Amino acid sequence: MEFLWDVIRDAVAALGDFGPELREVLWLTIVVSGLATVIGVVTGVPVGLGLGLGRFRGRKVALTIVNAGMGIPPVLAGLVLLVVLWDDGPLGGLDALFTPGAMVAAQALLAFPIAAGVTAAAVANLGFDAREHIAALGLSRTGTAAVSAREVWPGIVGATAAAFGRVVSEVGAVLIVGGNIRGETRVLTTAIVEEARQARFGAAVGLGVLLLVLALVVSTVLTATQLRRADG
Amino acid sequence: MAEAFVFTGPFRLPRGEALDVAELSVGRGERLVIFGPNGAGKTTLLRHLAGTLTGAPVDPGIAYLPQRAHAFKGSARRNLLLGLAKDRHGAAEHLAAELRVSGLLERAAVSLSGGERQRVALARALAGTEPLVLLDEPLAAIDLRDRDTVAAAIVRALEGRSGVIVTHDEATAAAVGDRIAVIVDGSIRQVGPVADVFSLPADEEVAAVVGLRNVLEGDVVAAGDGLVAVACGSVEVWALGELDPGDPARVLFGGETVTVSPPAPMTSSARNRWTGRVLTVRRVGRLVEVIVDVGVPVAAVITPGSFEALGLGEGSEVAVSFKATAARAVAVGIHH
Repeated sequence: MEFLWDVIRDAVAALGDFGPELREVLWLTIVVSGLATVIGVVTGVPVGLGLGLGRFRGRKVALTIVNAGMGIPPVLAGLVLLVVLWDDGPLGGLDALFTPGAMVAAQALLAFPIAAGVTAAAVANLGFDAREHIAALGLSRTGTAAVSAREVWPGIVGATAAAFGRVVSEVGAVLIVGGNIRGETRVLTTAIVEEARQARFGAAVGLGVLLLVLALVVSTVLTATQLRRADG
Repeated sequence: MAEAFVFTGPFRLPRGEALDVAELSVGRGERLVIFGPNGAGKTTLLRHLAGTLTGAPVDPGIAYLPQRAHAFKGSARRNLLLGLAKDRHGAAEHLAAELRVSGLLERAAVSLSGGERQRVALARALAGTEPLVLLDEPLAAIDLRDRDTVAAAIVRALEGRSGVIVTHDEATAAAVGDRIAVIVDGSIRQVGPVADVFSLPADEEVAAVVGLRNVLEGDVVAAGDGLVAVACGSVEVWALGELDPGDPARVLFGGETVTVSPPAPMTSSARNRWTGRVLTVRRVGRLVEVIVDVGVPVAAVITPGSFEALGLGEGSEVAVSFKATAARAVAVGIHH
């Protein structure tokens, strides 16, 4: 029992301290996961709309790939990017390995199929009648996608929340391509791994609480958006 | 009338069977009503014309209002103007005023009633300049007392354009249609001017669908010159028909073609004239249906004015008459 109390006391102490290093880790987490989510949503939502609305050859295969992609292990995504960005790899010249840029790319890779897959599911949920009403507007392909997006707006916000939740909580991809370099590529999840490995459980739990709060804040903002636009 | 739009089948139902409709044509400036009971295939046929069964976008030359208006997210005004070219916004606002929804345009579309959504969607569908306009049950959600106004707005907006209007309501068909195509069980049974089809249905199924109340059964007792006499109960009914004496037949005629008059003898060219007592009286839309027992029940549909003038009530003695050319005799079991 005393051990648990120690852990909690240390966690509170770590949070109370909130030094520059912790601030840097939190900030990098927000920037990396935020950017990755934005990239994943900006590219994934149009793809999801296309998959949900389109009637083209290969649609089923593409949907299957996207749905499978929602479950890709982060470690694997990181590994693929590691090989690609390795000095002798195809994009080795970019010299991007072990930088925040590589971490954003790795997480965007994870966010994309979530954004696309959840959006496609939301559009598929529109039903024949609603789609027919949209088709009857006689809009261009882009116009049709825009109107459909507005119709499934809560679904797209949900896709965004799911994508952010996925990337902010993963550790495998950022660890592999970022390297968890102190002061450079350390984010909340990799920091937790580091502290836990060093048996500094209090600090690890403190970081975990911070991660939870971050997820909660983002989720609160997105939910508010979701509800505000759900009816009107 | 120039045939502006000709659609050729096969038109298939979503479950794979084909509608028994080889071709459908609409003249320039003509309004064709697709009429039939629920499940007859009207909407499927219209979707074929609109091209939406395949999930494709609707042709730019076609304005299409699917059934059951959808409330798109946002204000009613957004719903009204969605997809319309800027230079048609004025026309849409004008139609919204005509359809009495101008005052609702700032409200969220989802807060509108079904009828209000329908009016907004109808205003949008009619506001464009597409040469062909397809409307699926445009008046279904509209209150009965407002249907005339809305129907008139549809007719005005379609002036010079071609329209195909799906409905299962006689009054709507009569109000907006030039021609009517009656569809039953996936096949078009009769096409013709609205009045002709209503007063002279091709067969008993069409008769049942267009709401004709008189289908009498009997055997043919005389025939010649395209006319037959059918013994139905205690009366002989003359009707158009190419049948032979002895054939079992059904005689179909519209309630609207039956004249009701005082029982006093009067000269009339009508071949069918009998006296009897009024069995029942009921309102049918804006008209009155009077069923008179002349040996068999005969339904007459008359205006409330005539009804009042005749001072009718249950048990009143009256004469009913209709011309042989207003009735059609068909052989039982044979559908044309």
